[in-house]
Amino acid sequence: MADPRLVDRMFHRIMRTLVETGRAPHYAELARPLSLSVGEARRALLEVMQAYPIGWLHPETDYIASFPPLNSLPTQYRISVRGEQKWFAQCGFEATSVTWLFPGRTVRIEAPCLDCGDTMLVEMRDGRLLTVNPRSVVGHLNYGFGPSRGTPPYL
Amino acid sequence: MNLFRSEEHVRRWSQFNPAAEEGFIALPDLASFFGTETRQHMLDADYLSVWYPRRAAERRAVLERLGKTSPFWLGTPAPS
Repeated sequence: MADPRLVDRMFHRIMRTLVETGRAPHYAELARPLSLSVGEARRALLEVMQAYPIGWLHPETDYIASFPPLNSLPTQYRISVRGEQKWFAQCGFEATSVTWLFPGRTVRIEAPCLDCGDTMLVEMRDGRLLTVNPRSVVGHLNYGFGPSRGTPPYL
Repeated sequence: MNLFRSEEHVRRWSQFNPAAEEGFIALPDLASFFGTETRQHMLDADYLSVWYPRRAAERRAVLERLGKTSPFWLGTPAPS
């Protein structure tokens, strides 16, 4: 069991890297900044993911696929900040939480509707909804909380 | 956990689960649900140990305020 402070530090580093680059780091990239061996970094990553089960590694790998509210694996929920689109939200619900990763900035969520493919646009700043187009955009949970989490298709 | 252009689009969706008629949530409610206090600390150095453990109770409180108190929203059995 790793030092809880180390698990916190690794979580923080992963989240910061996602915010800065749009992708999650590999554990080997986390080793040196955290003063760990590569093997220790891998073990710490597994502890982070165990402590944060709403995210997940890609099956049969140690690659971070999902680290909500962001996703390293692209989804249909494209996130732009300052005109730059380099992030993806884990799902439509988590997309509304991305605003808290970019304080003071307008966060733009664009996604195709799964029914018709037409684009939806939502803009938020510091938790406030600024733009919703069309105004009828709605969230939907298809299987209740729990069973659908982390399983494809992400419904 | 998806966004759609409208409720009509959800019901027309090829993968719509008819048992999920209660699965709708208005966008402002969703922003509130995913904008609770703990969410505002995701960049804090101690988020995982201090803030994340508080999330479940906070989410439940919001869902209760929104009137979403069924097992579907609070944590469900496997779909039949």
